Amino acid sequence: MVGNKAAATACKLARVQVASAFPITPQTTITQYLSEMHANAEWDFDFVNVEGELSSQVVVQGASRIGARTFTCTSGPGLLYMHHPMQTTGSGRLPVVMAVVHRSYKGMQPDHSDLMSQEWTGWGHWYVEHAQEVLDSILMAYKVAEDPRIRIPIAVGYDGYVLSYTAEPVEIPDQALVDEWLPPNKPIPEVLPDKVNKATFGRGFGGEADPQVPWKVHHDAILKIEEVHQEVMDSFEKTFGRRYGNAMIEPYMMDDVDVAIIAMGTIAGTCKAAVEKMQKEGKKVGLIKLRSYIPFPVKDFQEWSKKLDAIAVVDRSICPGKGGPVYQRLRETLYDMKKRPLTLQFHAGLGGKEVRVRDFELIGDKTLKAVKSKKVEEPVTWV
Amino acid sequence: MIEIRLHGRGGQGAVTASRILATAAYEEGQYSQAIPMYGTERRGAPLTAFVRIDNQRVRERMLVHEPDISIVLDPLIAKQQGVVESLKAGGIVLLNTAMAPEEVKLGGDFKVATVDATTIALEVLGRPITNTAILGAFVKVTGALKLESIEKAIKKYFPGRLGDMNIAAVRRSYEEVKGPIQAVVKSGVQEKMDLNVGGYGVLKDVSSWRVFTPEVDVDKCISCKACWIFCPETAIQWDEAKKKPYIEYNKCKGCGVCANECPVKAIEMVRVEV
Amino acid sequence: MSERITRAQIPMEEMGITPGSACQGCGAALAARLAFKALGPNVIRHGVPCCPDTVTKTPQIGTVFEGGGALLTGTSRGLKAIGREDVLAVGFFGDGGTYDIGFQGLSAAAERNENILVITKDNEAYMNTGNQRSGATPKYATTSTNPVGPKSRGKEQPKKNIPFIFAAHYVPYVATASVAFPEDLIAKVNYAKTITGFRIIIIQSPCPVGWRFEPEKTIEIARAGVQAGIWPLFEIQNGHDFKLNYKPKELKPVTEYLKPQARFRHMTEAEIAEVQEDTTSKWQSLIQSDEMGKVLI
Repeated sequence: MVGNKAAATACKLARVQVASAFPITPQTTITQYLSEMHANAEWDFDFVNVEGELSSQVVVQGASRIGARTFTCTSGPGLLYMHHPMQTTGSGRLPVVMAVVHRSYKGMQPDHSDLMSQEWTGWGHWYVEHAQEVLDSILMAYKVAEDPRIRIPIAVGYDGYVLSYTAEPVEIPDQALVDEWLPPNKPIPEVLPDKVNKATFGRGFGGEADPQVPWKVHHDAILKIEEVHQEVMDSFEKTFGRRYGNAMIEPYMMDDVDVAIIAMGTIAGTCKAAVEKMQKEGKKVGLIKLRSYIPFPVKDFQEWSKKLDAIAVVDRSICPGKGGPVYQRLRETLYDMKKRPLTLQFHAGLGGKEVRVRDFELIGDKTLKAVKSKKVEEPVTWV
Repeated sequence: MIEIRLHGRGGQGAVTASRILATAAYEEGQYSQAIPMYGTERRGAPLTAFVRIDNQRVRERMLVHEPDISIVLDPLIAKQQGVVESLKAGGIVLLNTAMAPEEVKLGGDFKVATVDATTIALEVLGRPITNTAILGAFVKVTGALKLESIEKAIKKYFPGRLGDMNIAAVRRSYEEVKGPIQAVVKSGVQEKMDLNVGGYGVLKDVSSWRVFTPEVDVDKCISCKACWIFCPETAIQWDEAKKKPYIEYNKCKGCGVCANECPVKAIEMVRVEV
Repeated sequence: MSERITRAQIPMEEMGITPGSACQGCGAALAARLAFKALGPNVIRHGVPCCPDTVTKTPQIGTVFEGGGALLTGTSRGLKAIGREDVLAVGFFGDGGTYDIGFQGLSAAAERNENILVITKDNEAYMNTGNQRSGATPKYATTSTNPVGPKSRGKEQPKKNIPFIFAAHYVPYVATASVAFPEDLIAKVNYAKTITGFRIIIIQSPCPVGWRFEPEKTIEIARAGVQAGIWPLFEIQNGHDFKLNYKPKELKPVTEYLKPQARFRHMTEAEIAEVQEDTTSKWQSLIQSDEMGKVLI
C-alpha cells in the first residue's frame, strides 16, 4: 500500500463524515482514492471536490463547526494557498485533521518548507516516516484533536513521492476495534439554531477586554497537546499493539551514545539504517526522530541533552536568511541547561535532494569529530 | 505638553478637528500629534480622538489617558462616554450644548465651558457637523492656540468657499462660548469610559446619535405601516390593537426614513433639545 | 417563482436584535432585518467581512473574506452528516464577498449546486473600509478609489451583471430585490426557503455615506432605482425561466435616481444620456424575456 492509500484508508477507518480536497501533486491520489471510496459507498461520507485548496480548508472548517469529523489534504503550493483559512480553523479551535504531503516551495520534490511555513496558523504539526505511521497517526490525530481539552486542528506531514507514492506493507487495524477506540465526534450544540438564540463564531472583531487573551488561550491549548498525545499513544499501543516512541519523539538506538542526530519524516528512516551501520562500526551515534514539531518536545530534549555530548540537527527546510527551524528551536530549548551539548546544523533534502545512508554517516562523523575536539569548527553544513 | 481628548461621533469630524488642532500647533512652531481611535468607518457611532501639543518632539505613541482638555463635539455624547473621566485636576471640559456652564451636571476639580456648536453649524454650514464650530470656543477658553493658526489650518483642510464657511463658524463660536467656570458640582458620578466604541454588535441605546427626533401624530396616521416596515433599526414598533406606530427611542438613530416615507406626513423630525 | 404577499402578510416577529452598529439610514441593515424576518429562526447565518448591519437571533458563523461559498458548503454538508437537513445554511454577504473576493468560492458552490441560500446586500462599493470601488459599483459612480479628476470620470466600467452570471450556472433560483419593495423581497425569501439547491437573492441596499445622500432618502432612492429600471426586480429559475416582478407602464427617467446622489453629481448631460440609453435597452431585453418567460442562456 502506498502512503496516500494509507491516508485514505485512515479516513475510512476513522469514519470521516465530510472530506474535501483539491488535487495537487504529490497529494493527488488521495483525492482519487477518496472519490473512488465515495463512489463505491465504502462508508457513509461526503466528499466535496472543490475548485481550490482555500475552499477545501473552508469546507472542512464549516463542517467541523457543525460537528462532523472532517478531513482534507494538500501539498506545497496548495498549503500556502490555504494559509488564510488555516488560521481561522486554528483560531476556531476546530478539530480538523489534514494530511500534508510535503512538496518543496522550490520544485515538485519533497522538503518540509510547506508545513514549516505554516507554524503561525495555530495547528498541531506532526511529521511521520512511513505508510504505517501515516495511517496510525491520522487515527491518533483525530483522538487528540477532538479531545475536549484540546480542540485544535492537526496537520500530519509526510514526504511526497518517496512516501506518498511508495508501496510498502501496511497493517490495517480491525474496523470494530477502531470504532471502539475512536468514537464519533460530538457535535457542538451551540451552533444549531434550536440550541441557542444567538451565538457568534469565528468573527473576532474586538470586544474582548484584553485582545491578547485569545492568543494566550490558543497557545496554552496547543502546549497541552503534548500530554494528550502521549496518553493517546499509550492507549493506541494497548489497542493496536504499535507505538512510536513517546509520541513527541521516537528515540532509535539511543542507548549509550555520545551523539544524537535529530531528523524528521522519511529521512529519519534512512537515518535509522545509517545509525545501525555506524554503531556496528563502534560509532556512538543514535537517532531521535522528531514527530511533533508543534508543540515542541522541550522536556524530552532537555532530558536527553544531559546525556549527550553533541546533537546534529538535520533540517529539511530553511527559512531563508534565518536558518533551519528545528536547529534554532532546539538551541533555544537548551539555553537554560547547565550542561549544553554541542549543536551542529545540517541542511539536507531541501528541494527534494536525496538523502542517503552515507550522508548520515558524514553527519555522524562530523559530529563525532566535534565531540573529540570539544569544538564546532563548522556550525552549518549543506549536505 | 498639552494633551487633548475629543469626543464625537462618525460624521461630525472629530478626527478632522484633532488634525486641525495639531496642524494649527505646527503653524505656531510647536510639535504636535493627532491620533484617531475608531474601528471601521461608521457614521453616527461614537469615537474618540487625541491631540498632543508640545515644544519638543512628541515621542509617546499611545492614547491620551489623562487629558488637560476634553472637547465634546456632540451634545448628547456626554451621556454615553465618560467625557471627564481622568481629566487632569484643573483641566477644562468644553461641551457642545445650548446649556450654560452652570447648568452642566458634571462634577470634579475642573472647569466647564459650553458653546451651542450644533446650532452654529446648522446655521452657518447648513449641516450638524460641529468639528470646526467648536474650535473657536477652544481657542477662547484655553488660549492654547491662536485663532489665526486655527484658520490657517482650516484652509488647508477645506479650501475655497467651504473653508470660509468653516472659518465663519469658528469665529462665531469664539464669540459665543460661555465659561470656563469651576464645575458646579464638586463630586459627581462618572460613567466608565469605553474606548472600544467602534466595531460590530448590538448597542443598548443610540438616542445620542440623533440630531433630529421623529414624533408621530397618530391622528394623521392612516395605518399604512410604511414607517414600521422601512425602519432599519425596528425603532418604529407597531401597535396591532390600535393599528398605530409607536417609537422605541433608545433604538432610533434619527435617520428620518420614517418621516420621509410617511405618505401623509404624520411623522415630523424635530430638533432634540438637550 | 415567488408568490405575491401584502404588507399585512409580513411577519410581525423581528429576528433582528436592535439597535445595531450600522450607520443612520443604512439600507443593508434594513435588508438584513427584512430577509431574516422572512427566514425565521431555523437558520444558521454565515458572514464574511462586511459592514455591520443587523445582528440576528440566529447562530452566526464567520470565516475569511474569500471563503463564503465554501463555508456555506461545509455547513450544509455538515448538517447533512449529523442529520439536521431541516436547518438552512444562509450566507449574508456584501458585494465584495459576492462579486469580487468571494466570487470564486461562490461560483464553485453554485456549480456544485450546494444546498445553500446566499443573500447579498449590494451597496455597490466596499463601504466598510470607506467606499472603495467594487465589481458592483456602477459606471460613473465616484468612490474613494474612483475620484473625479482630469483623468477620471468616476468608475469606467459597468456594474458586473451578477444575477445573470449566477443564472448561467443553471442554479435553481436567482432573484433580485430591493429594500424599497419589502413585500417582493420577503416573497422571494419565502419562495427560496421552499426549494433546495443553490439559491441567491441580491438586494439593492443604498448606502447614505458612500452614495452621498441624506440618510432619510434611503428608500426614496432605492425606489427611484427600481422605477427607473436601473435595479430591475426579477427571478430566474434553473438559468432559464424568467419573471419580471415590477413592470411599470413607463420607466421613470434615470435622472430621478442619479441626481439625488452626490456620487453621480459630476455627470454631464451626455453621460446621463448614455446611462439612460443603456438602461432603456437593457429594460427592453428584460421585457422581452418576461414575455417569453425565459432567458436565452
